[in-house]
Amino acid sequence: MTRSIAANIRGLTLAIAITFLITSLGVGYWTLVSGDELNTDPYNPRLVAAIRDRPRGVITDSSGATLAESVQTTNGYKRVYKDKALAHVTGYASFQFGASGIEAAYAESLIGQDPGDPLSQWRARYLRERAPPGSVVLGIDPKVQKAAVDALGGRRGAIVAIDPRNGAILASVSWPQYDPSLISDPATEDAAWKQVNEDPDHPLINRATQGLYPPGSTFKIITGAAALENGVDPNAKVRVDDPWQADKSWGTYFVRSSSRAHGDYTMADAYRLSENIYFAKIGLQIGGQKIAEYAQRFGIGMTTHCDIAATKGQLSQTGALDRPTLIADTAYGQGELLVSPLQMALVAATIGMGGIMPTPHYAAEVRDAAGHAIRVIAPGPLGQVIQPETARALTTMLVGAVSGPGAFAFAAKIPGTSVAGKTGSAENPSGAPHGWFVGFAPAEAPTVAVAILLENSPKGGEDAAPLGGRVMQAALGR
Amino acid sequence: MEITFAVLLWGVRIAFLLLLYLFLLRAFGVLHRALVAERVADGATRALGVLIVERSPGHAPRVGERFSLRASTSIGRDAGNDVPLSDEAASARHAVLELRDGEWWIEDLGSTNGTLVNGTRIQRTERLHFGDELAVGRIALRLEKGAG
Amino acid sequence: MIAVTRRRPELGLLFWVAALGITGSVAVAAAEAAGFRPEQLVIPVTFVVIAFVLHLFLAARGIRGDQLLLPIAAALTAIGLVLVQRLASNLLLQQLSWTLIAAGAFAATILIPRDLTALSRFKWTWALLGFGLLISPLLPVIGREVNGARIWIGVGTVTFEPWEAVKLLLVIFFAAYLEEFREVLSQTQRRFGPIPVPPLPYLGPIVAMWAIAMLVMVFEKDLGATLLFLGIFLAMLYLATGEAFYTLIGMLMLLVGGFVAYHAFGHVAARVDVWLHAFSDDVRFDAGYQLVQGLFALANGGLFGAGLGNGMPERIPVVWSDFVFDAFTEEVGFAGAIALLALYLLFVYRGMLIALRAPTPFMQLLAAGLSFIVALQTLVIVGGNARLIPLTGITLPFVAYGGSSLVTNWMLVALLIRVSDVTARARGTP
Repeated sequence: MTRSIAANIRGLTLAIAITFLITSLGVGYWTLVSGDELNTDPYNPRLVAAIRDRPRGVITDSSGATLAESVQTTNGYKRVYKDKALAHVTGYASFQFGASGIEAAYAESLIGQDPGDPLSQWRARYLRERAPPGSVVLGIDPKVQKAAVDALGGRRGAIVAIDPRNGAILASVSWPQYDPSLISDPATEDAAWKQVNEDPDHPLINRATQGLYPPGSTFKIITGAAALENGVDPNAKVRVDDPWQADKSWGTYFVRSSSRAHGDYTMADAYRLSENIYFAKIGLQIGGQKIAEYAQRFGIGMTTHCDIAATKGQLSQTGALDRPTLIADTAYGQGELLVSPLQMALVAATIGMGGIMPTPHYAAEVRDAAGHAIRVIAPGPLGQVIQPETARALTTMLVGAVSGPGAFAFAAKIPGTSVAGKTGSAENPSGAPHGWFVGFAPAEAPTVAVAILLENSPKGGEDAAPLGGRVMQAALGR
Repeated sequence: MEITFAVLLWGVRIAFLLLLYLFLLRAFGVLHRALVAERVADGATRALGVLIVERSPGHAPRVGERFSLRASTSIGRDAGNDVPLSDEAASARHAVLELRDGEWWIEDLGSTNGTLVNGTRIQRTERLHFGDELAVGRIALRLEKGAG
Repeated sequence: MIAVTRRRPELGLLFWVAALGITGSVAVAAAEAAGFRPEQLVIPVTFVVIAFVLHLFLAARGIRGDQLLLPIAAALTAIGLVLVQRLASNLLLQQLSWTLIAAGAFAATILIPRDLTALSRFKWTWALLGFGLLISPLLPVIGREVNGARIWIGVGTVTFEPWEAVKLLLVIFFAAYLEEFREVLSQTQRRFGPIPVPPLPYLGPIVAMWAIAMLVMVFEKDLGATLLFLGIFLAMLYLATGEAFYTLIGMLMLLVGGFVAYHAFGHVAARVDVWLHAFSDDVRFDAGYQLVQGLFALANGGLFGAGLGNGMPERIPVVWSDFVFDAFTEEVGFAGAIALLALYLLFVYRGMLIALRAPTPFMQLLAAGLSFIVALQTLVIVGGNARLIPLTGITLPFVAYGGSSLVTNWMLVALLIRVSDVTARARGTP
């Protein structure tokens, strides 16, 4: 039987109405939902037009010294950067290649329409009037920054120093660096861009926040925290015999002790002498799930809440610890772990603050043209990730790791101040081990936490520890 | 001066968006009233037209069967017609009844054996009144006011 | 003997259209010149006069039935003029001239042919005419190639896209053909396993017609028109037979055809790749530039828009023909975009109601098919602008800059009004 045409018309009309509804939803997505992302897209001509013919705001360090400013040229303004060592922090602002670092993260603030000042955004949008741009003041302390640059001394690697009390980043160095002024100048941008992108050392990567490295022994802080909160007695002696394997099923695979040790170890001994076999054994004792849980608590494999782009890191390739050998390797900081120096600085800061993890931030304040603060950047702490008593116990052991008898991290000592810290030598596929040091001072009430990373450093952590001492000393003198 | 101009300009911009919506609202109103009017007219149309089978030698249609009329109703031997007539004398598409300005008209579509109204063979189109008898072959139908 | 009709609701709506068109034009002019000159009112006022003349013409001819389509089409055309003024003011006079021609075409379609059934009787003539128009761009001398698509004919500086007219002819032909054979076509008692076998000899002519259209479109490299023809073809088959089977086969043909076209034709693959990877670095500065700029415009729109004349839609290449929707949305926001879509939906809904009430299957199919054209064009171009589907070169009906599209769309309105008129006469309603 033939359906009447009327019924078919009704069916088609219904289908059309539904499609109109779906289309409206699509339009709603682009107009209402995607706005935040697209309106601040560095290639959006609306943004470019807003800045090409007028100066952007300046970026200063905490002392008020200018780090980036706009300079008038024959065709519009270009950006000039004062300190190449802060290239990765300030970033660049190019019409062609977009923006990075603070230039990207605070793009709206730098063109006089900070989100903290809705009226300025409203005026810019509807009246095409923009307040003269203000400035973005960073937490970077020039003295600590200089100490960090000098300490790194042109070696490939990164240094981060953070104030554990509020998360302000005091120093941030990533080496090798590039010249952001060249990338931001229309006359040189093409050649400069090509050059930095072809450099095998990848100078564009901010190693401090985006570099991915195995943490080596510095990760033992997290394993220790997990152990202390899961019934492991730190004073109990654990037998260490190099080389070690849990059972025959490991085949030819053994965990090695860096000091070829044979003896009975407490947790404090294990931190002082950085004993891999001790941590492999207690790691297997508490299990992979617990280690994974505590790594997550400390933000490994999680989005790092930072105002400029930062990596998540990874616990393992699958995100889980599902084999005994992987659990053992992860427990002393190898396996498939990858972290950024910023993440390890946060781990140190968290222990120092009694288990409270601060939110890291590079910028401290956005000011208007007259110098009045529009917005103070003070994100609260991320949360209490371990118990205060656990943090206290770890602090005591980490002080021992710097100043105890035969301590590996002795070179980080600062006269007159107790320093807590841990070295690490991270095995990696690219050659000599990466040298790590993480620590904080003064141990009882820290005002600075650091992470040092030296790529392919012959003596690993031994090379990194003295750098940590120097940077922390500079910060203590603030 | 400049501020006044900006305010005026924004007034005009907002007015444009408002007018767009007001127009849309009015258009909905017009459509709604048109639909109500059509529905009323529809009721009247239904009340106006029904064909009742008076004589039919076969089974289809049966004597006494009623066909409600649409504004344009086709009569013929094909099953696709609104009023199918199974009589050899009927053409496949025989005739069509049309409502024109509230009046019923019949149009013979050039059938072989013709259409009779009250016993008289029609030429091409003819006005119909209620009570009139249509005959095609041996089948006869009467046009009546519908039941409503 | 023509009884003059009073078309009061239509007249009332046209006053709102006048207010809308003039307000929009004033806003754009004032924003651009940062000052306002009265002579800038000439163009919107001219258009308003045209719209009122069309209304008087319908009333004088005693046309009954629908009073909604003319005001909606006029409102959309007014918005189109405001946008041409905003985006390509050098083309404004040209667009106004086309509006005048479109009004003429509208009036002519109201008058000719005297009897709508003539459209149905001469169906093969329309098919032939459509075919002729379709291949005309391939002919030497008058054929023109623009942006790689050979879909234009032109004499001197005046160019026309013939397929715009072909879509009307196609609907008329399908409506007439399907009225005659719909009974046979929906007899699917013969089955091949679970698959009903349609009576091929009757399906033949429409498939042939469609295949010719497809082939020509492939040669003329116009993805949008191909999609539109296929859509019309499927919708008309469904309307006539109600067979889900045809729709299914049609969708299958669309998928297979799309797959083959993707691999066989560079321009199809390019469109799809742009759609899928619009924001990847090798696309956004190259083939996807236009789309990405359009999305920036949408994003800048927000809820209430940047205000007429206050956005930056001119950064989208060829914005006045391909991306008017994004430009409109940037300046009046999501609120404005929804109102615009609602206008289209109202137009289509009204058209479908006319189809429902039409007295003969031919007129039902005709009115539904014509309404469907407007719906499909709107959905395909808005979907393309909003990156819901790959972008095609279909124009936004009445609004986008372009003469051929404006003229044929106004003829489409005239045909719908005529079907409505016939229905009203049959039913004895105003």
